[in-house]
Amino acid sequence: MSTFKVKRRDFLKITGLSGASAALAACDMPTTVTLEEGEEDVVSYLMPEEYVIPGIGVWYASTCRQCDAGCGIVGRVREGRVLKLEGNPVSPINSGALCQIGQAALQVHYNPDRLKQPKVRQNGKLIDASWGEAFDALKVSIGPDSDIDGSRVTWLSGTVSGHQRVLMDAVAEAIGSTSHYAHEILNDTVVDKVNAEVYGSANVQYKIADAQVVLSFGADFLSTWGSPVHNSVQYGKFRDAPRGVLIQAEPKMTVTGGSADLWLPVRPGTEGALAMTIAAELVASHGADVNTLPKAVAGQLSQFSLTSAEEQTGVAAELIKKAAGFLATRSPSLVIAGGTAAAHEHGYEAVTAAAMLNVLLGNVGKTVIPVGDFAYPALAPKKGDTAQLAAFAKVAHAGDISVALIYGTNPVYTAPGQLDLAGALANVKVKIAFAEFMDETTVMADIILPLHSDLESWGTHVPSYQAAEPMMSLQQPLMEPLYAETRGFGDTLLEIMKLYDSEHYGPFTDYYAYLRNVILAIPAAAKAGASDDDYWQSSLQQGMLKVAATVPSTLAEAANDGVDVLDESVVVDTFAFALPTYSVDKDYPLILIPAATGRLGDGRFANLPWLQESADAITKIVWNSWVEMHPATALRFGIKQGDIVRVSGKNGSVEAQVYLHKGINKDTIAVPMGQGHTEYGRYATGRGVNPLKMVAVATDQNTGEIALCATRVTVENTGRNEELVKLGGSETQVGRKLVATITADQLRRV
Amino acid sequence: MTYGLISEKASHCNRNNVLRGHVAPRGRVVSRFSQVFGLLCMLLFFVGSAYAEVPNAVPPKGEHDGKHVEQPIEFPHDIHARDNKINCMYCHTYARRGNVAGIPPTSKCMGCHAVIATKKPRIKQLAEYWEKGESPKWKKVHDLPDFVHFNHEKHLNRFIFNNEGMEVERADEVCAFCHGDVKEMTVARKVKPLTMGFCRQCHEDNDGPSDCWKCHK
Repeated sequence: MSTFKVKRRDFLKITGLSGASAALAACDMPTTVTLEEGEEDVVSYLMPEEYVIPGIGVWYASTCRQCDAGCGIVGRVREGRVLKLEGNPVSPINSGALCQIGQAALQVHYNPDRLKQPKVRQNGKLIDASWGEAFDALKVSIGPDSDIDGSRVTWLSGTVSGHQRVLMDAVAEAIGSTSHYAHEILNDTVVDKVNAEVYGSANVQYKIADAQVVLSFGADFLSTWGSPVHNSVQYGKFRDAPRGVLIQAEPKMTVTGGSADLWLPVRPGTEGALAMTIAAELVASHGADVNTLPKAVAGQLSQFSLTSAEEQTGVAAELIKKAAGFLATRSPSLVIAGGTAAAHEHGYEAVTAAAMLNVLLGNVGKTVIPVGDFAYPALAPKKGDTAQLAAFAKVAHAGDISVALIYGTNPVYTAPGQLDLAGALANVKVKIAFAEFMDETTVMADIILPLHSDLESWGTHVPSYQAAEPMMSLQQPLMEPLYAETRGFGDTLLEIMKLYDSEHYGPFTDYYAYLRNVILAIPAAAKAGASDDDYWQSSLQQGMLKVAATVPSTLAEAANDGVDVLDESVVVDTFAFALPTYSVDKDYPLILIPAATGRLGDGRFANLPWLQESADAITKIVWNSWVEMHPATALRFGIKQGDIVRVSGKNGSVEAQVYLHKGINKDTIAVPMGQGHTEYGRYATGRGVNPLKMVAVATDQNTGEIALCATRVTVENTGRNEELVKLGGSETQVGRKLVATITADQLRRV
Repeated sequence: MTYGLISEKASHCNRNNVLRGHVAPRGRVVSRFSQVFGLLCMLLFFVGSAYAEVPNAVPPKGEHDGKHVEQPIEFPHDIHARDNKINCMYCHTYARRGNVAGIPPTSKCMGCHAVIATKKPRIKQLAEYWEKGESPKWKKVHDLPDFVHFNHEKHLNRFIFNNEGMEVERADEVCAFCHGDVKEMTVARKVKPLTMGFCRQCHEDNDGPSDCWKCHK
C-alpha cells in the first residue's frame, strides 16, 4: 500500500486547482469537440424482426449458469447485444430475483480474457490453432480411429445435468469410458446422504417461509448454500408478520449469521454436540417426546448436558437454553445443517444430529419435505464433490488415465495442495479442456477448445435443489457469439458423437436442433394439447419445462398429505453416532475456515470485476484476501487490525491482512476462498491468497468428503501493517450518534 | 427553411426572463422596461407563429457548416424526399417509436428497388450488398456525445403527433429543426450545431423540460 500521504486540506487544494484548470482549458475548446461527423459506423439491419426497434430492448428468457441453482433469468437484448440480466418472474426458483453473481454473468460474457482461439500443445507449448485443427487433434486422441483404450479415458467436470450430461455420458460410452469424476469444492454430498438416510430421499425441500423459527447449523442459506436466491425470497416471507426467529450456529459469521436474531459462535466440529444438547434440553425441559427419535440417538442424549456443551462447543449455556426455548414454543420450526457444519471429520454425525432435531420437533412433512428423485435419471444432476476429486487424484497418480476430458471445473486451483492435483494431471498423457477461460487447470491442457459463453449457448439444466415442482431450466442464447472460433459445449459434444454414431446424431445440424428434437419427443400428454411449435415457443418464453406430472413418488405424496414420512426402517439401528470432543493442538491452536462468500464463490468468479469490487458483506473488504480473527484471539497472539500475519499449518502457509471481528469463534480464523489465482485473467491473477491449498486432507468418515474446516493452524505476526482496503472506513460512529440506538433494557424502563 | 427575425426576437425575450429568474410564474414582470419589452415580444411571438410553418413551435436557431461525409453509397435524399415526396418517417420508421431514428433496414430499400431504377449504378451497388447479405456501413453524420440522451419519439410526439394543427405529411419541416433541409441534399450533411446551447434555447422557447437528468442520464 502506498505511504504517500496527503492532508485533507491539501487534497482539497489540489482538486480545486485541477478543477479550475480543467474549466479554463474548456473555455478554449469549441463546444462541438465531442460531436463527430462521419467518424462512427452505423450499420442498419438487413431484415429486422417486426418487433425490433433500435434503442428499445427486448427481453428473452434463459437460465443463469453461474451456479447450479438454475435460477431463471431474462436478458435485455438491444441491437443484438445483451445488456442487462434480471430474474425471471415466472421461475419458481428465484421468482424474479437475481443475486449479484447472476448479474455479473454479463462480465463473464464480455470478459476481455475469454478464450477466443483454440490451442494445441506442440513441443510443450500451447500454439493457437483453428477450430478444425484442434478438433482434428481431439480426433487423434479419442476419435473412432484412435487406438485409445476407453477405460483409460475419463470426464473430469463440475456438476452437470440436463442434455449436456446425456451427451457427456454418450461420449463416454462411445469411447468405452466408465468413469466420470465430478468435482465441486462447495457441495452437499454429506447433507444429501443424511437426507437420504433420515428422510428417505436425498432431495428435500426446506420450507423456510412456513417455519416460525429456523435454526441453521453452518448453512449460509441466504448467500452461499443451497439455492440462495430462492431461500432469500422464502426468508422475506418468513420474516413477514408474524416475524419468524432465525438462529444461526456457525464458527464464522456469514450473511445468514449476520441476519440472525440469535447467533451462536460454535467451535468448528462441535455442531453435532450442540444439536444433541439442544435435543436433550428439549426433552428435559420442554417435554419433547424422546420416543420419536431412533433408539441409537435417543440413548445418547443423556451424555449431553448444558455445562459439558458450553465447555465443548464454546457456546454459553444460557444461549443454548434460549435457542431450545424458541424451538419449543414456536411451531413449526425448521432445522437446517450444511456448509461449515458438514465440513468436518464428523460432519455426517453433525448433520444427522441436526436432522434428528427436525424429527424430534415434528417438522418432517411440514417444513422439511422429502421429494422423490428427478423423474429422468439420465438428466438429473451429476453432483460434484471432493471425494470424487480425491479418487481422480489417486487414479491419475497411479497412471491409470491416458485422456482426461475437462469441463466446468478448475481442480488445480480448488484442490488442497496435499492432493497434488497438478502432479496428477501431469501424469495424464492428453488433457482436453473445454473452457471459456484460461485458468490453472486449462493452462495444463494439451488441447483447448474454447466455448461459447453461457449467454451464447443452448442447454438444459436440472437444478441441484428442486425448490418447487420438478422442472428443467432451458438455456437459450441471448445473443450471437462474439467470437468466430468458439463453439457451444453441446455443439462440441454433438460433433464428437457424430464421429462415432453418424446414423443417430448425423441428422442434427447443431445442438439446437438436437435439443428441440429430444424435448419435443416427450409424450403428447405432457404438452397439454399444444402443437410442437407452440409448446417449444412457450417453453422458451418461460425458460423452463415443467415435468411435474411424471414424478410418481409416494414419498412426496405422503409428505404433501402431512403424514410423518420418517420410516423407522430407513434409520439403521446401528447408527454410528460417536460425536467427537474438541481437543487442543498445542502447535496449531486454531482452526482454519476457508470461508465461502457470495462474491467469489469457490474462486470461479474472481475474474469478474463487479464481484471483486463489491464489498464482502461482513468485512466490507474489496479486491483482496484477509484473515478474520476475534479481537480476543488477536490479543493472545499480539496482533492488531491490518497486521499482515502468516497462517501456517502442516500443509503450507498463507500471508494476509488481519480483520478483527467479534463475529467469529475465538478458536477459529477464517480466510475467504476465491483469491490467489495464478492463471485466471487480468482481474484475478496475483491477487490475495488461496487458503484451499493448505487444507489438510482429512475426510468425513462416512462419506469420504474432504473435511474443509478441520485444518489446524497457527498465526504469527510478520510485523508489517497496512491499512485495510474496504468500504465504510470506520467500524464505529465515533460518538457522533449518526444512528441513535437504545438498549432493550432502557426501552423497557421508558 | 427560414423563420425570420420575428420569432427569434420573441425567444430572445423569453430567454432574458429566464436569466433574470422570472421564469415561474411565466410572464411576471417587475420593471417597466421588461413589461413593455415583454408585451412587445408576446405580440411579435403571436404574429410570428401565425406565419411559422409548424404550429405551436419555435424552431431552434443556429447554423453549422458541416463537412461533406463520404458514404458507401451516395444516397440521394433529394430524389426520395423532394422529388417523390416520400415522408421521412417512411424510411426512418423508428423515429416515432424509439430513441433513435434508425437507418432503414436494407430489406426496406430492396422493397422498392427490386423493381425501381434497378439499372442505376447506385442501385446496383445496393443490390450487391443485398446479394451478399450485408448492410452498407454508413457513416454517422449527426452524432451526440455518449452522455447525451436524445429521444426522437418524444420530440416527434411534441411537434407532430400531439401538436394540434400539424399534419403528419409535413413531418420533414419538424425534422428540419435539427437536421436542416435534408430533402435538398444528397447524403445528409450536418447543418445545425446540435450543441447544448442549441438544445437548451429550444427547450426554453418551447417549454421543454429543463432538468439536467432529462438528457444527461
